[in-house]
Amino acid sequence: MSQRTNFPCGQTRREFVWEMGAGFAGTALTAMLAGDGFLPQMQASESPAVGTDGLMPKRSHHPTPIKSVIFLMMNGAPSQVDTFDYKPELEKYAGKDLPPDKEFINSGGRKKGFLTPAWRPFRPGGESGLLISDYFPNVRKHADKLAVINSCHTDSHAHGSALVAMNTGKTFIGRPSLGSWAVYGLGTENQDLPGYVVILDKRGGPISGQPNWSSGFMSAAYSGTLFRPTGTPILDLAGPKHLDRTAQREQLDLLAKLNHEHLSSRKGGQQLVDRINSYELAYRMQAAAPEAVELSRETQQTQDAYGIGQQPTDEYGRNCLIARRLVERGVRFVQLYSGGGHLEETWDAHESIEKNHGRHGAEVDQPIAALLADLEQRGLLESTLIIWGGEFGRMPFSEGKDAPGRNHNPYGFSMWLAGGGVKGGIKYGETDEFGFEAVTDRVHLHDLHATILHLMGLDHELLTYFHQGRKESLTDVGGKVVEGVLA
Amino acid sequence: MMVRSTIEPKTLADHRWARFFTYGLTVALFAHSTSASESPDFERDIGPLLIRHCLECHNDNAETGGLSLSSHERLRQGGDNGLILLDKSLVDSPLLQRVLAGEMPPPKDDEPTSITPQEIDLLKRWVTAGANWPNERVLDPYEQTTDARAGRDWWSLQPIVRPDMPTQQGTDLSGNPIDAFIRRGLAKRDWKPAPPTDRRTLLRRVTYDLIGLPPTLDEYAAFEQDESPAAYEHVVDRLLASPHFGERWGRYWLDLVRYADTCGYERDQEKTNAWKYRDWVIQAINDDMPYDQFVLAQLAGDELPDRDESTVIATGFLRLGTWNDEPNDPQEYKFERLEDMVHATSTAFLGLTVKCARCHDHKFDPIPQTDYYRMASAFWAGHIEPRDRAHLGGPSADELGFNVFGWTDRGRDVPPLHLLKNGDAKHPGPVVEPGQLTAVSFLDTSISPPPEDAATTHRRLQLAHWITDTRNPLTARVLVNRLWQHHFGKGLVRTPNNFGFNGDEPTHPELLDWLANELMHSSGQETRDKSQEPFATSQQPIAISQKPWTLKRLHKLIAMSKTYQQSSNHPHHEQYTATDPGNHLWWRAERRRLDADAMRDSLLVASGQLDLTPGGPGFKPSIDPEALEGLSKKGAAWQASPTEEQRRRSIYTYLQRSLLPPLLTVFDQQDTTLPCGRRDVTTVAPQALALMNNAFVHEQSRVLATRIAEQVTSLDEQIQLAWQHVLSRDPSESEHIAALAHVQSQTTRFQQSAEETEAPSLMALTSLCHVLMNTNEFLYVD
Repeated sequence: MSQRTNFPCGQTRREFVWEMGAGFAGTALTAMLAGDGFLPQMQASESPAVGTDGLMPKRSHHPTPIKSVIFLMMNGAPSQVDTFDYKPELEKYAGKDLPPDKEFINSGGRKKGFLTPAWRPFRPGGESGLLISDYFPNVRKHADKLAVINSCHTDSHAHGSALVAMNTGKTFIGRPSLGSWAVYGLGTENQDLPGYVVILDKRGGPISGQPNWSSGFMSAAYSGTLFRPTGTPILDLAGPKHLDRTAQREQLDLLAKLNHEHLSSRKGGQQLVDRINSYELAYRMQAAAPEAVELSRETQQTQDAYGIGQQPTDEYGRNCLIARRLVERGVRFVQLYSGGGHLEETWDAHESIEKNHGRHGAEVDQPIAALLADLEQRGLLESTLIIWGGEFGRMPFSEGKDAPGRNHNPYGFSMWLAGGGVKGGIKYGETDEFGFEAVTDRVHLHDLHATILHLMGLDHELLTYFHQGRKESLTDVGGKVVEGVLA
Repeated sequence: MMVRSTIEPKTLADHRWARFFTYGLTVALFAHSTSASESPDFERDIGPLLIRHCLECHNDNAETGGLSLSSHERLRQGGDNGLILLDKSLVDSPLLQRVLAGEMPPPKDDEPTSITPQEIDLLKRWVTAGANWPNERVLDPYEQTTDARAGRDWWSLQPIVRPDMPTQQGTDLSGNPIDAFIRRGLAKRDWKPAPPTDRRTLLRRVTYDLIGLPPTLDEYAAFEQDESPAAYEHVVDRLLASPHFGERWGRYWLDLVRYADTCGYERDQEKTNAWKYRDWVIQAINDDMPYDQFVLAQLAGDELPDRDESTVIATGFLRLGTWNDEPNDPQEYKFERLEDMVHATSTAFLGLTVKCARCHDHKFDPIPQTDYYRMASAFWAGHIEPRDRAHLGGPSADELGFNVFGWTDRGRDVPPLHLLKNGDAKHPGPVVEPGQLTAVSFLDTSISPPPEDAATTHRRLQLAHWITDTRNPLTARVLVNRLWQHHFGKGLVRTPNNFGFNGDEPTHPELLDWLANELMHSSGQETRDKSQEPFATSQQPIAISQKPWTLKRLHKLIAMSKTYQQSSNHPHHEQYTATDPGNHLWWRAERRRLDADAMRDSLLVASGQLDLTPGGPGFKPSIDPEALEGLSKKGAAWQASPTEEQRRRSIYTYLQRSLLPPLLTVFDQQDTTLPCGRRDVTTVAPQALALMNNAFVHEQSRVLATRIAEQVTSLDEQIQLAWQHVLSRDPSESEHIAALAHVQSQTTRFQQSAEETEAPSLMALTSLCHVLMNTNEFLYVD
């Protein structure tokens, strides 16, 4: 006796309809229902197909002011005790060993040195008096906007897998990234631009590459689009020079004519129609994307605020300003990498915290501060979530006697959130007195992801994607929303 | 055996609802069969009821509230809250009262409790009559399918029996067995299949289908002129004998086994010689290697008595997964690798999601957690122990005996494998003995120790023998479904990698079984239809093996069916679509977009540049510098191959996990980390951008235009040739006029831009070729 009254994988009807895109614009849903038969289609759909309307805006699970996310990814892992996690006790223990009962994996088999205090002083910022180090003097001015989480911990001490974990929830490659979940769950507001944009550091991509912005087992339509900060920002956005916009328009007109003639003798050609429409969308994107990176349209004052045209802030300043322009235009998820390639080109300060964080801090501090100020001034901060952090933290001890660098530390590190729905001017959670491991109100990366989704109006347990017989989610079986950082 | 719904739903889309209602109806019938006076029968009424509603949470492995209802003893024992049967006043027994109060079974997901009033009545009469339980009877939560999970009576786990051929009146049984089954389904609704498609469309369809390339102009001409009834059959034979057949069908297999040329992660090291596995697959398919041998070699090619280099290459299957040379905890990482191998094996060969049972009993299929570890034992003996990075997580060439990328055990004796509580390496549970899945109840599940002289555990060999046992109900069904899917665009079972509870059920179960049986027990009939061959032909028939487990004869059977040859346009399209939008009855052919590989190959065919050199190390396509920015080592990590090599077929692309070629991924090329049984087909703007602007596409347009301009000088002839090369036909009059206008207008435009180096007329012709390569006609196969 066949007795399957449930929806696939034990879903409730609500979740089931959710996955099918009940939040799509009405016509899209109607088209989908008519497309392949509601239920049989779902049965067959381990990975539902996405048409040009698959990225239309969808309802969130619960109301939220947030429309967009900007993830400031500090690739290479900044040191928490030198930036946002003030540990005065390290002065006292300077030169001593971490107590032997503190167990850890010494990543890369590097030398284990001695406890070392922060390389730059901490000072209070804003009315909240949050303590932030001199690597971020400008961000400190916005302390009252930040919810600093000092008790983060993650699952790997190696960049390759920890980056993938910060982006996808798991240390192994092949799963959808945070931005993919966001556009899968919410679609995007502006069809003329990609919904999920990643801007890399010019020095290179993150370790593990593409899997960091991949849509994994989801449809490729949800994967991150690499954006270049100048000229034609998207791959294949422009063809050869002689094919200018009018020449290409001429091509598209002929193409449309041929395609319509082809369509006229065929029945059930929805997919053919979708493809015809996709060319018009692409044509619009060709105009919209370069316009989004056209920074000359910003006032000199704005450009100066972001540090554009000055070193060392020019690159990240441009990226931050582009991020603002993108969220202004309805892009759902933007990720900006600071640091690219390997070692000192990233925040991976094995050699010297002062040298490394001095360099990278100076590159990003002013731009990030300008972004926060700019968003606030334009009334966009309330509808934007800013995330700052790396893939893990760094050890409170050095890599040898008098060695000025620090090794990887997945046991305790800091990240901060700002923007709509976030309680500003607070610290959440604590590491131990050494800043070595999270001890109070620990926040695993699944918790962080659950919180980010929550702020976006998504329930991390309901946002599932049916794949190979299982409802997959970003947080898998873990994850708890960190209520303490919510406004 | 699980009985399938017999009620005809109003529309096929209602099917699942229909099952729901059927269920309710059947329960009602059950209740009727036990009249109010007679006490319920345990086997017929009570056992199924307990399994359906109670055992999920109350069995010997999952004793919620300390309670198990799997045996009489445990029933009597009660749970943490005391006895659940009160002999002195049976009607007050908590077992009954909790149910009557609506507390049990607990409401799920805000839906009311699923037990029906009839069932409650049965339970009440059973309890009040003394709750009789047959001696020694132990209920097993997996013994039967419930509304929440599949039991061992699930359809795909039942023996494959060759069904009788349909004989109903009114059914057109002429032709091939496939048509007999499909037409019986259509006849039930008085439906007619779509008419046969036209010859051009048929030739294009079958050629793309079998070799992944378009027919040549000569092939079109020959086929259109060949009036022999056997003309089409000759085409099928020719294509099946083509070396490109293995390239097309090998690609499907490579998707399934997560093939890539590198390991992934930080260093993303090259899997040296992985391409030999790719070539082995292509060769095996071209040689029509029986599928049982194909499976044996991949799982245990190193353990076969007649092992040789090629069978050891085949074991690369086990080693194709991603591999992290710097896992957080190398000891724990071993278990991730086991999961990869269990998942690849159970997905590819069995269509089961065994990996779901790593942390707990499978929630939907009869796969207890121990079964995951029983299967994992087969791989536990391999080189999954942490070892020097240079070994890339596997055996060395010395250990393999050949300079290949294969797999073997560390030895014949290995430490025991513990079940992991919640799948967590930090919490080992009891030792699990190696064995086969218990879901297939009628096959021996034991695994024997290796022979005296064996160098390995022989566990993988036994697993492979169990998989290829002709009594295994999954292997052949899963495989013939894959064949069907790739021929028709969709499977008889629409979820090719999941034949369990959450998968789809076959549209034509008997046809699936007929094909599966035919695969394993070849009827040996020559599939050539002699009756239609009255004329002698000059073409020699190409012999196709009739041996069991060979596949080409099934490909041919499918390609020769009328179902396959029907049109994608049906005169009653709107009417049939309203009832069967998913084409579950196969009343028309599916229109299909070329996949990434076929699309790229076709562009090269159109430009006349395709290089058909087979085999060997993969080529690295040129990738736009802006895409290379995604690599942590940037351009240094990617050296494109010489341009000539880049004109080879897409299957020979070097697949680097940290950087897959954007032109392919945007057209839904498979993700390489997990087994992929069916690629997505999305339609998104970045695809249009790629075909409009990608340098590779422009290069093909330019080369084609140059060729054409060299061949003919009149614009009319050039337009005609452009159509022939890209779309294999002449333009219609209106197309010709539009093309003419386009070329003239673009020529004028390009004349005005002074900086161009090429002749404006050539650039305009290039523009036309480029447009043709963007058409739906180019990209879709009817």
